[in-house]
Amino acid sequence: MSANSASISASSAGPKKSLKTFGDDIWKNKTAKINAELFTLTYGSIVSQLCTDFERDFKKVNSQLYAMGYNIGVRLIEDFLARTALPRCDSLAQTSEVISKCAFKIFLNVTPQVGNWSNNKDAFSLFLDENPLSDFVELPMDAAKELWYSNILCGVLRGALEMVQMDCDVWFVNDVLRGGQSTEMRVKLNRIMKDEIPAGED
Amino acid sequence: MGDSGLASEVNEHQRLQLQFQLFQESLPKVDETIYRMLLNEAVPLAISVEKSLTHHKEDATGQLEAELDSKLALESQQGDASHKLLKDYLAADQDQQTRIKTRLENIGFQLGQKLSQLLIFSNNPNLSFKDMDLLSVMKFVCRDVWKQVFGKQIDNLKTNHRGTFYLLDYNYKPIEPFTLEEDLSDQEQKLIEPFLHVPCGMIRGVLASLGFEKEGQVTCQATLVDPPDSKQAGAGTFTKSVSFNVQVLVGR
Repeated sequence: MSANSASISASSAGPKKSLKTFGDDIWKNKTAKINAELFTLTYGSIVSQLCTDFERDFKKVNSQLYAMGYNIGVRLIEDFLARTALPRCDSLAQTSEVISKCAFKIFLNVTPQVGNWSNNKDAFSLFLDENPLSDFVELPMDAAKELWYSNILCGVLRGALEMVQMDCDVWFVNDVLRGGQSTEMRVKLNRIMKDEIPAGED
Repeated sequence: MGDSGLASEVNEHQRLQLQFQLFQESLPKVDETIYRMLLNEAVPLAISVEKSLTHHKEDATGQLEAELDSKLALESQQGDASHKLLKDYLAADQDQQTRIKTRLENIGFQLGQKLSQLLIFSNNPNLSFKDMDLLSVMKFVCRDVWKQVFGKQIDNLKTNHRGTFYLLDYNYKPIEPFTLEEDLSDQEQKLIEPFLHVPCGMIRGVLASLGFEKEGQVTCQATLVDPPDSKQAGAGTFTKSVSFNVQVLVGR
């Protein structure tokens, strides 16, 4: 795994400027910022209201959060592309780098580690060491079994990737809130959607 | 002698102010866009919850149907798009709309309760929570709470000193990007309503955490109003202001 990820990051480093400095630069100079605690608290209120509404049926809460994220993702990608002006990625490896070093950096100011590549390079994991959504959050016993607290992130990623013609499945495999070693998000590419060409055009 | 004492006091205050500023800057930050999106997305979310809950009730009789439904639901986990959900809000009946609004107010309420904690522990030298009367609590909402969440203060605060307050926000941030003409149709007006229930809940939450916590003691309603002429913005910008009407029953 370590050998894999090392070679991938080396090959995908941009010719002029590495994605990392690119992302850092945008975060520093072109981003209006807001207190992360406020963000955490707001998300916490939303999740807790959802849990009440669904009478602690956490499966439903998960899918509702996912749906909410999806709706955000399909619009967030516009903002992302407008701000970064990045071209299309040639490979999933590059996509993963853009997600971790630019997208997460610009919007949440964190840089998750990319790793755990599948053998045929169609799936990878993002390891979130820091997660602004779940700062100072502790789940009650019943929620810790079924609730994916930050499931909104999966929805966002899925929605955003779909808008750049990548049909992906995104889900959490591990979360520190559930007693896991790390917070791990899995991204699996199903297929690249074809560009639709209007009928009658050559 | 007295002069130099005053000077050092000012310096002390300035030092605290500077320290506070440095502390604020050192806090972890996230992008503002996603925060705005998250906050606004709570509205379609509340509508979607309402939809799935009522849908669920209808299905309760036909267990098989519900089961089939859940299997089909796996396929389209995304649910409806936000703009469709907003349309559903207009089609919903009175009860449903009320429940959606209550849901949003609850979200705001919880946020408000925690917000005052966040601000109490922020070491702001200008804030003192000791012996706060109702007016200074409202000032706190207008100045510090609003600043924290929306990046600006409330533009105008009016009160009759008997528990009624009008808080005017000429450009309420979350609905600012909406494109709305001056001659707002009833439907459009109705569609904005739910977006105003989050801050209403927030105001109640802040007040509740600062001692005005009795059930029904505080009511808050928001309406869209025309801004005063002096504030008329250029063409193409959002032209409506929001007025929050807060009623506090003070015991006596």
